[in-house]
Amino acid sequence: MNTYKLIISTPDGNPFDSEAVMLCVRGIEGELAVMAGHVPFITAVKAGDCKVILPDETEKTATIGGGILTVQNDKTTLLCSDFKWN
Amino acid sequence: MSANTKSLKLRIKSVDSTLHLTKAMGLVASSKIRKANIAMQTGRQYEAAVQSVVDLLTSALDYRSSPFMREYQGGKTKLIVIAGDRGLAGGYNANVFRAVRDFGDAEIIPIGKRACERYGADIISSEKFYAADAFKLAQQLCSQFAAGEFDRLGIVTTNYISMMTQTPEIKWVLPLKKNNDTKTTAAIFEPDERVILDIAVPEYLSGIIVACVRESFASEVAARRMAMDSAGKNAQQMIDNLQLEYNRARQGAITQEITEIVAGAGN
Repeated sequence: MNTYKLIISTPDGNPFDSEAVMLCVRGIEGELAVMAGHVPFITAVKAGDCKVILPDETEKTATIGGGILTVQNDKTTLLCSDFKWN
Repeated sequence: MSANTKSLKLRIKSVDSTLHLTKAMGLVASSKIRKANIAMQTGRQYEAAVQSVVDLLTSALDYRSSPFMREYQGGKTKLIVIAGDRGLAGGYNANVFRAVRDFGDAEIIPIGKRACERYGADIISSEKFYAADAFKLAQQLCSQFAAGEFDRLGIVTTNYISMMTQTPEIKWVLPLKKNNDTKTTAAIFEPDERVILDIAVPEYLSGIIVACVRESFASEVAARRMAMDSAGKNAQQMIDNLQLEYNRARQGAITQEITEIVAGAGN
């Protein structure tokens, strides 16, 4: 499965900084998922659940505060004020 | 023994207790340095990440329409002043206050007990200033800025250069400046740039505030360690000098006593 570099950044450090297969969050206009090869894209993210699928196909869920998701060609960054793995 | 030796002994004792105090404060500062440095690094990382998003947004299109990008042409200034919670940190607090002095008419939002005492506000600790506090402050400031209540926002902070040097600095954060170095990417914005910028600005501001508070705290701790180191050295030197003087006085008294006894026995 194709992977991409995902960085989740909060003021208290980066709780996630490695390769991922998929990221699901609640965007301001509805739920969305980011996979490898996504076009460059910026949106605001609402507070709620967030799901990350790792290269070994395990699924990790977390609760996030609002933030901003930036998808760039080389990396995807999720900036949020609050982030906690479930 | 004469009154002279007694007063010397008292002085040695008092300098010795000062030495203990400086040692203890130096140790406390050293134990906090590592943690403060790690917190500073994470704060900087987040700041850099938010900065790159804001750069992308400001350079992507014409944002002159956004209230956060109106140009500063004089007007009311607001300053967030970040100082320490305690004194005895060399020139750390004084340097910050000196930097503020140039902006006499600015409205000041102090962070850190020393700054709060100086500018007469409710006490906010700089050591226990969390991201949530920063976010609340940032949101409040953003809505005030958007409403035109003030025209410029700066943060007076201390730059941590190394353990030995920290310099005060004023960072101007609002209005946002267009960064011309960022290459514009043909990114899709959802729903549109303006809405995302409005959401991103409080996030950006709180990221910068957190990073600055943490950097200032790391500077404070480092400054205190250096100050306590040199104060300890001075105290030790003072004790050495006083001890020498005391020994001389003591020996003088003994010599005098012997001379008196010998003189008495000779008669």
